Amino acid sequence: MENVLNVSNLKKSYGQSEAVSGISFEMKKGEIFALIGPNGAGKSTTLKMIAGLLSPTEGNIEINNLDIQKDSDKIREIITYLPEDSGAYKNLTGLEYLIFMAELYAKNKSEVEEFVSKGKEISGLGEKLKNKTSTYSKGMTRKLLLGRTVMSKPELAILDEPTSGLDVINAMEIRKTIKDMTKEGMSVLLSSHNMLEIEFLSNRVAIIDKGKIHEIGTPAELKKKYSAENLEEVFEKAVNADKKEMETK
Amino acid sequence: MRKFLVLLKKEIKELLTAQIIAPLIITAVLFFFIGNLMDKEQDKINQNVNVTVINNDSSSKSSEFFIQSLKDSGIKINLVNGIEESKALEQVKQDDSVALMVIPANFEQSLDTNQPEKIKTYTIVRNFSMMGSKNYGIMMAAIATANEKISNINIASKSPDSNPDAIKNPIKADEFVVVGDKQANISPNLVMGFVSQQTMFIPIILFMVIIFASQMIATAIANEKENKTLETLLTTPVKRNYIVVAKMAGAGMIALLSSLIYMVGFRSYINGISGGAKATSEISNIISNLGLTLKPESYILLGLSLFIGILVALAISLILGAFAEDVKGVAGLTTPLMIVVLIPYFLTMFLDINSLSPTLRYVVYAIPFSHIFMAAPNLFMHQYLPVVYGILYQLLWFIVFVLIAAKIFSTDKIITMKLNFGKKKI
Repeated sequence: MENVLNVSNLKKSYGQSEAVSGISFEMKKGEIFALIGPNGAGKSTTLKMIAGLLSPTEGNIEINNLDIQKDSDKIREIITYLPEDSGAYKNLTGLEYLIFMAELYAKNKSEVEEFVSKGKEISGLGEKLKNKTSTYSKGMTRKLLLGRTVMSKPELAILDEPTSGLDVINAMEIRKTIKDMTKEGMSVLLSSHNMLEIEFLSNRVAIIDKGKIHEIGTPAELKKKYSAENLEEVFEKAVNADKKEMETK
Repeated sequence: MRKFLVLLKKEIKELLTAQIIAPLIITAVLFFFIGNLMDKEQDKINQNVNVTVINNDSSSKSSEFFIQSLKDSGIKINLVNGIEESKALEQVKQDDSVALMVIPANFEQSLDTNQPEKIKTYTIVRNFSMMGSKNYGIMMAAIATANEKISNINIASKSPDSNPDAIKNPIKADEFVVVGDKQANISPNLVMGFVSQQTMFIPIILFMVIIFASQMIATAIANEKENKTLETLLTTPVKRNYIVVAKMAGAGMIALLSSLIYMVGFRSYINGISGGAKATSEISNIISNLGLTLKPESYILLGLSLFIGILVALAISLILGAFAEDVKGVAGLTTPLMIVVLIPYFLTMFLDINSLSPTLRYVVYAIPFSHIFMAAPNLFMHQYLPVVYGILYQLLWFIVFVLIAAKIFSTDKIITMKLNFGKKKI
């Protein structure tokens, strides 16, 4: 199957400090791929570089064979990005927000209507879409933003900690929506430090810590390789194994 | 272009909040209300200055000249002859009289023998307002008129062939005001007073608009950064320049709308406190003949100068807003801009920039906002060239700042730039 994303030797430095230290991975079309790791591991920085928000210090990113540096305008048409803990415009209603975002992606009026209709359905907010987003709870805002992220049917949806800070019910609904996205041909790149969530959601995962990828594989492959019961255990063993290898060198 | 309009619509919707509109309308209505109130109060004062008088003289000079002069000045007289001074004073304190005047018993006799006479005047101070002092002014003007009349009679009785006015004022200034190639027979004080009364609101409005627009756009950017809506927006298929221009256009439009509302309210307020043009139609004709009025092209240049000045402020604020990590940091970041606007604001309010020392003058000229404040006085004097140069200079700064803002928005600086005041790193 064709790759939707190719990342090679990606680095990002802020002065002397290196947030991402030469990571490489690829994603197949229709795949849910997760970056898992603790806070400060470099997940968000990697996603921001792929979304075109941050310029890589080194390395290449290709989305649908388009180069992030040269073809950024075309890439922005086929991706969507959901930042961690983001909000919506407080003075707009949920519906106005969806219409505004749809108008930025759609090529014509009928596409705007199609996108908004999809956004309304995915957000599941019903009549509450008529209220200003400033009145929304965190869970409602997240659903609205997920609706916005999915409604334009992007080739690649980039979701940074999509369920962070949500209660169990809201988190479950969001996970279900993400799972359903691939049925419509979308590819999803997400980050999380909730490894149990990732195990449920992802086709493949990359274990990232201190700006480096330690392992890539399906949850089943990784659990088997490290004789672990879950991804948390895999994470611990993979990171420790790398540390030992470094020490012996 | 369609996407730009979508962004612009969103910016206006986001900026036009109840928190912005309500204070704007309340302030304008308050200005309007206070202006009208003061206008009515002034009319009332002019009609209702009540003075209590004890006339211990009962001569023709005291009643026909002095008291009549007070009446002719629109003062209502309450004669309370035969009452003790202290009792009359107590009564005056209780009623609505503004003063008690006591004409001494030998008033006419003293005047006839060329002895100056004192009229005790007890002014009741009930407040320190502008309107309160106006009562006193009316009273003093009436006494001056009475003095004039009585002294004229005295001089005429002693020397029937002489002109009392010529004796009292042997030298008189025949005042002319020259503006360019035009001149008029009028006191410069009247001209300057009238023009400054008509133009004093211009720098205040300019200052308010610039500060309002700057705060608005810097807060909008900081808000977007804090909410991470900017991150979302930057990943959408929209040209980054559109985002910059839409933000500036949105804030500029709201700022101009607000300035219009303020201007109407403020104008009404100024007219109210200054008596407006009602009492000065004769002077305004002379002012018009002197050419000290703004022509249509002057309004266009003034508007253009203000508009480009606002754009410069918006571009700077956009850059400053990009440094903010959250909305709380905006006030600190925009303070330097306010100082730069305040310098020409105060200088042009109290000084003629052209009379400053060369170094200071060029420093003031270098500030792009100075040219907005200098535009109105220059246009009144029909000096168009300095205004046009000022506009071009402002335009140059606008281009520079917009290019910097566009550069910031087109790179990851917009995400990574941070400047925190007073926040300690943990």
